[in-house]
Amino acid sequence: MELEFKDLTKNFGGFTAVDHINLVMTNGVYGLLGVNGAGKTTLMRMLCTLLLPTSGTITYNGKNIFKMDGEYRKRLGYLPQEFGFYPEFTVQDYLLYIASIKGIRPAVARKRVKQLVAKVGLSKAADKKMKKLSGGMKRRAGVAQAMLNDPEILVLDEPTAGLDPNERIRFRNLISELSEERLVLLSTHIVSDIEYIANEIWLMKDGTLMHKGTADEIINSMPEQVWQCFVDKNMVSEYMKKYKISNMKAEPQGVELRIIAKERPSENARSTQASLEDVFLYYFGEKAGGEDVAI
Amino acid sequence: MLQFELKKVFSKFKNRMAIVLLLVILVAVSMLTMNRVEYVDSDGNHVSGLIGARSLRAEKNKWKGEVTEDVLEAVVRENEAVNHSPEFQSDNIEELDEAYARKQGFSGIAEIINNAFSEWRDYDYFAIDNVSSEEAKSVYARRISNLKQFLDSGEEVFSDSQKEYMIKKYEDLETPFYYEYTDGWSALLQNISTFILVLALIIGFLVSGIFSSEFQTKADAIFFSTKLGRNRAVLSKMGAGFLITTVFYVAFVLLYTFVVLLALGADGANCPIQMDMWRSVYNVTFLQAYLLIVAGGYVGTLFAATLSMLASAITRSTATAIIVPFIVLCAFPFLSRVITLPGICSYFPDQLLEIYITMKDCVLVELGGEVVDVVSVIVPVYAAVCLLLEPVLYKVYKRTQVS
Repeated sequence: MELEFKDLTKNFGGFTAVDHINLVMTNGVYGLLGVNGAGKTTLMRMLCTLLLPTSGTITYNGKNIFKMDGEYRKRLGYLPQEFGFYPEFTVQDYLLYIASIKGIRPAVARKRVKQLVAKVGLSKAADKKMKKLSGGMKRRAGVAQAMLNDPEILVLDEPTAGLDPNERIRFRNLISELSEERLVLLSTHIVSDIEYIANEIWLMKDGTLMHKGTADEIINSMPEQVWQCFVDKNMVSEYMKKYKISNMKAEPQGVELRIIAKERPSENARSTQASLEDVFLYYFGEKAGGEDVAI
Repeated sequence: MLQFELKKVFSKFKNRMAIVLLLVILVAVSMLTMNRVEYVDSDGNHVSGLIGARSLRAEKNKWKGEVTEDVLEAVVRENEAVNHSPEFQSDNIEELDEAYARKQGFSGIAEIINNAFSEWRDYDYFAIDNVSSEEAKSVYARRISNLKQFLDSGEEVFSDSQKEYMIKKYEDLETPFYYEYTDGWSALLQNISTFILVLALIIGFLVSGIFSSEFQTKADAIFFSTKLGRNRAVLSKMGAGFLITTVFYVAFVLLYTFVVLLALGADGANCPIQMDMWRSVYNVTFLQAYLLIVAGGYVGTLFAATLSMLASAITRSTATAIIVPFIVLCAFPFLSRVITLPGICSYFPDQLLEIYITMKDCVLVELGGEVVDVVSVIVPVYAAVCLLLEPVLYKVYKRTQVS
């Protein structure tokens, strides 16, 4: 199975959300990392045939996915960023309905729903109305609906957004478990989620792919180094003006800074191993510290 | 799939409330309709509703049969006899009511005579009092001659072919009329249009969210990314809309009809509608008129519901979709009062729900040299429009992009 983006572009009026992207994907977990407005959701929506590209194509094994219509979508599972549902439906009814529009026969659907509800830990809540579920439970129901047709392609848009740390870890593990033998495209602005489960990471900014590769490759692609040093509290603002600070921590002997810079920022600074978080900050700069971004 | 679409509609609190409201309206309109039938007993007491209808029915069915020349003569004589009774001569209202009570049995035949001997645009309630039994025999002939006289007067402008059409329709009407108690049907027909209008608005309300709810609940992204989300799932939404419209329409119209006719009596189904609408060019019975009104109402309801669903699919807004049936069924009649568009107003979709009134009037159109009544045009035309809108609705929703 091969999915290919060929010169994929999407304009909204004068704004280019996705700008001439060329990519090939096969089985594995792909992590799409970028700040809000980078074009991640637009890219995913085109992949899910929800949006038509302005130019370029997406092919599945060489065939245009928009021409394949239902033949393509039957291989697809999608959990959107804003997971909408029918509030008055019970979890079971909701999943049975989605199964029906996925073209799954009722008898098979009932079996599959039972399995998935157990897998995502919603067995006890199967008869609960969707509107009564907690945020995490809703997301789990979302994953269950995406998995109903045992998709070859699983698209997860910000699946861990808004979840508490426990739920996030649980969710991440669930995605890892589900990602075997399929293509998973996972979009997030939470670096650690990607770091843990993605085989390949794409850094997306202003509609284009800046870098792609494994976590190590991405880290090594950063042309600057990461330094750690202790500075006096009064000097922090000066360092912040001069360098990209990926972390700061108050300690009795001063403030420990994690600085991204080409040259050693101070005498006592020692070089340290860069992380994906540092890379994220390096490429996305100030935007990476936005309120929606969790590193 | 269809059952889930229906579940989506009926699981909403506001839609459940709309159904409760519809049931309340059904009860209210049924009560009002039942009270339309009134009977005055031999003591001059007025009784309406179920008991009144039963007594009136018994009274009228004493005169049951063909309204031949002999019957017309007999009615004039009987009317004269009542008129000469001391009760009728009295100034006392109760005594006058007692006299009226004796006229109730043949009141339908008396109305025919009154109509035949009234000016074209008027109804002289006392015309029968001045008609001899010999003159009364000419009732059916006078219906035609009165029309000819009216057409020659030039009060209304009709083309020659329209005049010919009307005269032919009048001449084709089977006579003598068959007379029996028809008040149940009469009351039903008088109020059914109002009930159908309310029904159509509530049905429009119920279907208004079928397409837009996917966007409002933000379930659209998942819906359109599924295998059948852009084909069979859209058809199932359309099916749900059609099913809700049809089942609710049929069920509530039948329920209303059943309640009214059960209470007031279903006699007279095969009597000509001219017993109620003397000047009508529609040569139909009460039952046929009912079916025509119901069929027109159904097409009107379906048209409003289809437009509502189309608005729901295009605008993605339930609020906008709810307004559409109001515009189609309520704003058009208002428009026709404000703007003078004599020819066009008869083709407005609200007319589908006004067939009872249309049958009383004489609105004719010429199509390809053939004269036809307006009902024969608007019902099939709007039915065809509904059919044509279905693929439009399908394509609009199928091509939805979720940004």
